[in-house]
Amino acid sequence: MNRAIRHIALLTLKDLRIEARGRQTIGLVVVLAILIVVVLALGLGPGSGSSGLSATAILWVAYLFGGVLIFEKTMAVERYDDALAGLLLAPIDRGSIFAAKLIANLVLMFTLALVVTPVGIMFFQFDLSVAPGGFALVMAISMIGYAAIGTLFAALTSSTRLAGGLLAMLVFPVTLPVVLVSTRVLANLFEHNVSIGGSGLAILIAFDVMFLTASWLVFEIVLEA
Amino acid sequence: MDSATSKLIFRLYWLLTFGLLVAVTAMMAFWTPREETMGDVQKIFYIHLPTAISTFVVCFVVFVASVMYLLQRRSWWDDVALAAAKVAVLLASIVLLTGMIWGRSAWGHWWTWSPRLTFSLILWLLYVVYLMIRPSIESSQRRALICAVYGVIAFMDVPLVYLSVKLLPDIHPSSIQLSPDMRTTLLAWFVPMTMLVVGLTFTSFKINRLHRAISEPMEEEVEEPRLVPAGGSA
Repeated sequence: MNRAIRHIALLTLKDLRIEARGRQTIGLVVVLAILIVVVLALGLGPGSGSSGLSATAILWVAYLFGGVLIFEKTMAVERYDDALAGLLLAPIDRGSIFAAKLIANLVLMFTLALVVTPVGIMFFQFDLSVAPGGFALVMAISMIGYAAIGTLFAALTSSTRLAGGLLAMLVFPVTLPVVLVSTRVLANLFEHNVSIGGSGLAILIAFDVMFLTASWLVFEIVLEA
Repeated sequence: MDSATSKLIFRLYWLLTFGLLVAVTAMMAFWTPREETMGDVQKIFYIHLPTAISTFVVCFVVFVASVMYLLQRRSWWDDVALAAAKVAVLLASIVLLTGMIWGRSAWGHWWTWSPRLTFSLILWLLYVVYLMIRPSIESSQRRALICAVYGVIAFMDVPLVYLSVKLLPDIHPSSIQLSPDMRTTLLAWFVPMTMLVVGLTFTSFKINRLHRAISEPMEEEVEEPRLVPAGGSA
C-alpha cells in the first residue's frame, strides 16, 4: 500500500514538475478559458450571468474546454520519445499510473478554476459570497468525475491522429449529467437558498465512484493496447 | 445450413416483419379508438413506447458486446457492437422525432427541456458520437478498443443521465390511461418492433463482417500482445 502511494506521489510530482518547468499547459489553458468567458460575456451582454444557473453554466463551458486540453497535454508527455514504454516497463502498477495522471490533471484543473472563476465572477457580477464553500464543494466533486473520464479517454486517444478533437467528442456527452446536475444544484443554492445535500449531490458522488472505478479497471487494457 | 436456405429464411423473416408492421399500422389507424383529449396524435404513443424500450435493449447489446471485446479482443464483438449502435441511433432518432411531434401537439412547441425529451436527446448524442468517432481512427484495433471502452462508459452513463434529467421541471405525462383496445394495440406493436430491431441488427452485423473481410482480408484474430504487470502474471 505504502509502495503504491509512493509510486503515485512520484509520478504525480514528475508530471507537475514537467509542467512547472515548461508551463506550457496551464498558461495555454488559462488563456483559452478566459477567452471563452470573455466571448460568452460579450455575446450574452451585461448582467446575463448574474444568476446562479447562467454563471455556473458559463464557467462549466470554460472548465470543459480547458479540461480537455489539460488531459490531452498530460498524456501527450508520455508519448514523446516513447516515455510511456519506459513507464510500462517500470515495476509500477497500472492503477498507480492512472491515479497519478488523475491527480496531476485535477491539480491543473483546480488551478484553472482558481484563475478563471474570479474572472467569470467579475465579468458577470455573480455574487459568490452567498455560499462560496458550497460552490467549491460542488465544483470539486464534479471535476473529479470529469477528470476520471478525461484521463481514461486521453490515454485512449493520445496515439490517434485527431487526439484533441476526438477526446472532446468522447468526453463531452458522457459528462453532460455532471454539468446538468452541478448547474441545477448551484442554481438552487444561489437563487433559492436550498442546501446542496440531497439527490443532486448523490448523483455527482455516484458519477465519481462509478467512473473512478471503471477507469481504474479499464486503464490497464487501454495503456497496453 | 446452406446459403440458399439461409437466404430463404432471411427473406421470409423480413416478409413476415413487414407484413406484421402493415397489420399493426392498420390496427392502430382503423381499429384502435381515438383518444378524446389528444386526438389522432395520441396514436404516436403506440410507436413511441416500443421504440423507446427497444432503444434501451440495443444499447445494452452495445454494452455487452463492448465488454466481450475488451475480454476477448475478437473483431466479431466489435462488429456486433457497431451493428447495435447503428440501430440504437436509428431508434433513438425515431423516439426523439415522435416525442417532438407529440410535444408540438400537446404543448405547442417542437422542443421543451422536459426530462424525458432531454434524456432521449442525450442518449441519442451518446450513441451518435459512438458512430462518428469510428472513421477518424485509422487503426482498426485501436478503433475497436476506443469504441469498446466508450460503449461501456456510455451505457454506464445512461442511469445517471436518467437521474440527472429528473432535476429538470417536468410537463411530460407520467402515465397514460389506456382502454383495453388501446392496450392490445400497444402490445401488438412490440412484436414487429422486436422483429425489426433483431432483423436490422443482424443485417447490419452481416454488412459489418463483409466490410471487414473486404477492408482487412489478411487480418487474423490474434490477441494483442500484453506486457506483464509488475509483480504478477498478465
